[in-house]
Amino acid sequence: MFSFLAFSLSRAWQSFWRNAAMSLAATATMTLMLLLLSGFWIVQAGLLAGLDFVEQKVQVVADLTDDATPSAVQALEARINAMPEVAEVDYVSKAEALQRFQATRAAQGEADLTPFLATNPLPASLEIRLRQPDDFGVVTDALRGDPIVQRVKNIADLAAKVTTVTDFLRNAGLALLAVIGAIVLFIVINTIRLAVVGRAEEIEIMRLVGASDAFIRWPFVFEGAMVGLLGAALTLGVLGAAADPLGHLMFDFFRVLPISIGAIAQDVGLLVLGTGLGLGVLGAWISVRTYLIR
Amino acid sequence: MTVDTLPDRRRAPRRASAPSELDRNPIPSGARPVLVLNDVSKTYPNGRKALEEVDLVIPEGDFVFLVGPSGAGKSTLMKLLIRDELATEGTVLLDGEDLAKLPRRRVPKVRRKVGIVFQDYKLLHMKTVRENIAFALEVTGTRRARIGPAVERAMALVGLTGAADQYPHQLSGGEQQRTAIARALVHDPRIIIADEPTGNLDPLISWEIINLLLRINELGVTVLMATHDAEVVSALRKRVVALEDGHVMRDEVGGAYHRRG
Repeated sequence: MFSFLAFSLSRAWQSFWRNAAMSLAATATMTLMLLLLSGFWIVQAGLLAGLDFVEQKVQVVADLTDDATPSAVQALEARINAMPEVAEVDYVSKAEALQRFQATRAAQGEADLTPFLATNPLPASLEIRLRQPDDFGVVTDALRGDPIVQRVKNIADLAAKVTTVTDFLRNAGLALLAVIGAIVLFIVINTIRLAVVGRAEEIEIMRLVGASDAFIRWPFVFEGAMVGLLGAALTLGVLGAAADPLGHLMFDFFRVLPISIGAIAQDVGLLVLGTGLGLGVLGAWISVRTYLIR
Repeated sequence: MTVDTLPDRRRAPRRASAPSELDRNPIPSGARPVLVLNDVSKTYPNGRKALEEVDLVIPEGDFVFLVGPSGAGKSTLMKLLIRDELATEGTVLLDGEDLAKLPRRRVPKVRRKVGIVFQDYKLLHMKTVRENIAFALEVTGTRRARIGPAVERAMALVGLTGAADQYPHQLSGGEQQRTAIARALVHDPRIIIADEPTGNLDPLISWEIINLLLRINELGVTVLMATHDAEVVSALRKRVVALEDGHVMRDEVGGAYHRRG
């Protein structure tokens, strides 16, 4: 077993360098394809984070009547919080509502006119974040029946629009990623197949002198794995070098988003390594199949 | 032409090991057959009939010429023997094993009992003579310690020790073919199958190769050689099996290339 492994590995190494031009072409193709794939993956991850953020913005706001007692408010808050569709309920008091209004005005550079008001006209409210943005209907109905609820802000249109757009973008992104994945698979398998066809004579001789399938297959599979790993390493090197400037760009662009470069980097690293290795092995396995004993 | 015209002795025995029937073979009796073809027909998927009802017994230590015009079925016969193709009908027994019933993973083991030599040598250009011969052992999982001595022995037998580190393109055609023969021998096969081994060589070198095969045969290795070389066949008076249109037309010991009379 050990000598078989040593044989396969050393033969994989030898033939990789004896056919250096072909092997490097396969590696370059692999690298380009992995770059393409990881590039789209990163864009897709940014998009998804953005979509999550936008969906989080979909919340149901219920204005409360001014004469609602604290215990009635607490009871309502508890009742809504117990609903499975609800992620979080925040109570915004009249004072907080006024502060927010003042802060918004200040941010817009408008004069603060509230000191001229005799009383605070803003209602207290419950802000309810939903687990799924399309569940707003159930929560709205539950709120409407309560006597201390003055009105529920109508968010039906907004919620529907946001979910339509985000669903579309998610599906389109996934479909695009799948298409690119299939193209990458196709190109890499073909490149490796070319390398295998270049050694058809050698495989033929191996067959004729009575080499078992394993002896024919594994050197090529290891070679495919080498191409995959080398391609993955090159890809990660390029991505690593580009991460810093790219990170700044992304940060500027997605400033508002709760997106972490670290988490994406780990995902991309695994994606690139796994895809490279998998494609190399799969490509070699499929390519050499045709030459084995029928 | 049907099987009726064949001499009786080649109505091959149903059981290869039955000595009473083998005794009727003109070959030294009691020798165990390396190869038995029993009523073998091969029809390709496109409907072409390459072989029809072929019976052939090759005992151990025999030297057999396989002759016949192109398209007579020589190549198909060779392919059946190494199980590159399977017979449509009949059985092919190699060293007592029915090739059609052989499980897939046993095929490589049986192929190691056969040494194959081609007209175009089929050497690897990136490897030296020694590496080409060693390759046959390496890819069949032979221990490293056993490869070296076996390769030296095979090279000495074909007289190539001096050229061990040369690459095929540095060798003459005869030397390349001797390398191929050494590679075929290095497994200690039961039978050497040579498909037109002198087809690319001039007459003098051809005789060298034939003499080498004869010497190997004297060491006890069975040899089956397909050839167009009438001069060689007629001069040597060995067993000659003539194929024509997929039928065995003639099977005689001491035969000439062409039918007598």
